[in-house]
Amino acid sequence: MNTDTRETVLKVVDLGVSYGETPAIAQLDFEVKRGEFVAILGPSGCGKSSMLNVLSGLMAPTRGRVVVDGDELYLPRSKDPRLGYVFQAHRLLPWRTVRQNLEIVLGASDVPRDTWHARIDEILEILHIAEFKDAWPMRLSGGQRQRVSIARAILVDPSYILMDEPLSTLDEVTARSLRQELTGICQRTGATIVFVTHSIREAVYLADRIIILTRGPAQVFENYIVPLERPRDYDDARIAEVEADIVARVQAPWGLETVKERDVA
Amino acid sequence: MNKLQKQSLSIAALVLLLPAWWIAHLNTTFISSPFQVARLLPAFLSEGSTWYNIGVTLFRVVAGLVLGIVAGFIAAFAMNHSRLMREVLGYYVTSALRTPSAIAAILSVAIFKGSEFGYILVVAFITFPYMAVGLRDGLASADKGLAELGQIYHLGLFTQIRHVTAPFVAPYIFAALRNAHALAWKVIVVAEIFGAARVGFGAKFEHAWSYMLMDEVHLWLLVFMALVLFAEYGVIRRAEKFVFRWR
Repeated sequence: MNTDTRETVLKVVDLGVSYGETPAIAQLDFEVKRGEFVAILGPSGCGKSSMLNVLSGLMAPTRGRVVVDGDELYLPRSKDPRLGYVFQAHRLLPWRTVRQNLEIVLGASDVPRDTWHARIDEILEILHIAEFKDAWPMRLSGGQRQRVSIARAILVDPSYILMDEPLSTLDEVTARSLRQELTGICQRTGATIVFVTHSIREAVYLADRIIILTRGPAQVFENYIVPLERPRDYDDARIAEVEADIVARVQAPWGLETVKERDVA
Repeated sequence: MNKLQKQSLSIAALVLLLPAWWIAHLNTTFISSPFQVARLLPAFLSEGSTWYNIGVTLFRVVAGLVLGIVAGFIAAFAMNHSRLMREVLGYYVTSALRTPSAIAAILSVAIFKGSEFGYILVVAFITFPYMAVGLRDGLASADKGLAELGQIYHLGLFTQIRHVTAPFVAPYIFAALRNAHALAWKVIVVAEIFGAARVGFGAKFEHAWSYMLMDEVHLWLLVFMALVLFAEYGVIRRAEKFVFRWR
């Protein structure tokens, strides 16, 4: 039974997506509470990209409803959702400096212009990239670019932030350091996160709750509450135990008998 | 290579032309001595008519280029947004691209009977397909990821064009502009000569050549080369450097 009394930010009801006759998402029902860090875990090809497109306002679902802060998306007169998105690749505009990249997004939001500078400075400070404010993205490392991408997502004070495997393109050392900081950043800013990942360990380390999807067309297989207090240690034996528990649970729904050896290794 | 080394090499390349010019002068009767041309150059440049004629040709090139760029932009956007327009305009663009510039110059001058608009039009006709093809290719290869970014963060149309689309297609525009610019200078001279223009660089060059005023021919050639090089290095490349300063 869900005892979380926090306000619901995102509500997905009977969501289905099909491409012609081919279903990508069979049925999804879930909720995300304000300030919650939810990881979405599913095998390749289960429909995660379609789900992200729907949740980000890029694509209307074939069936079902998406409610953001009480407003239903994809109705003729529905409000555009205010959300942040951290892509796999940073998608910064290379011809604009870090500050300009952030200002462009602020310009499209209702954040008052006279607060922009202070806001940008504060977020960059939190992400430890304040000294790169006037740098071109090309001059930054992969990890720094992804930090700017996270700053851009947090900056507009979104209802929720979608993160599409944001650490998967980084080297392991950088990914570890950013992963470690990510939970702290979210706690400091109070952001609500929907984090899509292939990595079970990453999901266990970062999330309050993991929504495990079935093989495609996707359905929710399980809402898994991560039974670990914070702060967590990525190399902690308890993380490995929870990971092994999830691996054991998903073997049947994912139809992968070898998943245990591969993921735990 | 630093800036000073680059400049030194450029000057050295120009200076190396002098011996070749001198040898050519010694072995022919129609090539003036470089020293004779250098001696006449200050007086030539101090004449008001020199600058007037340069100004007329410059105006024709710039006006034609602007018209060609605008037409190229319209054609590229139309081709990018409609399959029908892509099919229809594609033929016009390819035809314009394949038409020899001399033929275009003669036709334009014949149709417009040496009017000012004829000269501008021939430059526009020759340059527009370069802009159309360049920009069409740029728009076709637009980064879909950045377009999604614009959608997700609700960037307005103007912001999207200014901060996303225009900088993305800028390299294509500059590549097309450099081709179009180089061709514009060539074709305007041909048009001015064939069109029996009374003023303009081509007219003065033709006049000097007809009367075998070889010193004057060389002076006009020198001024022409200086002008084209200034437009290329002093204007286009500087603008390019500024636009692509993020690289």
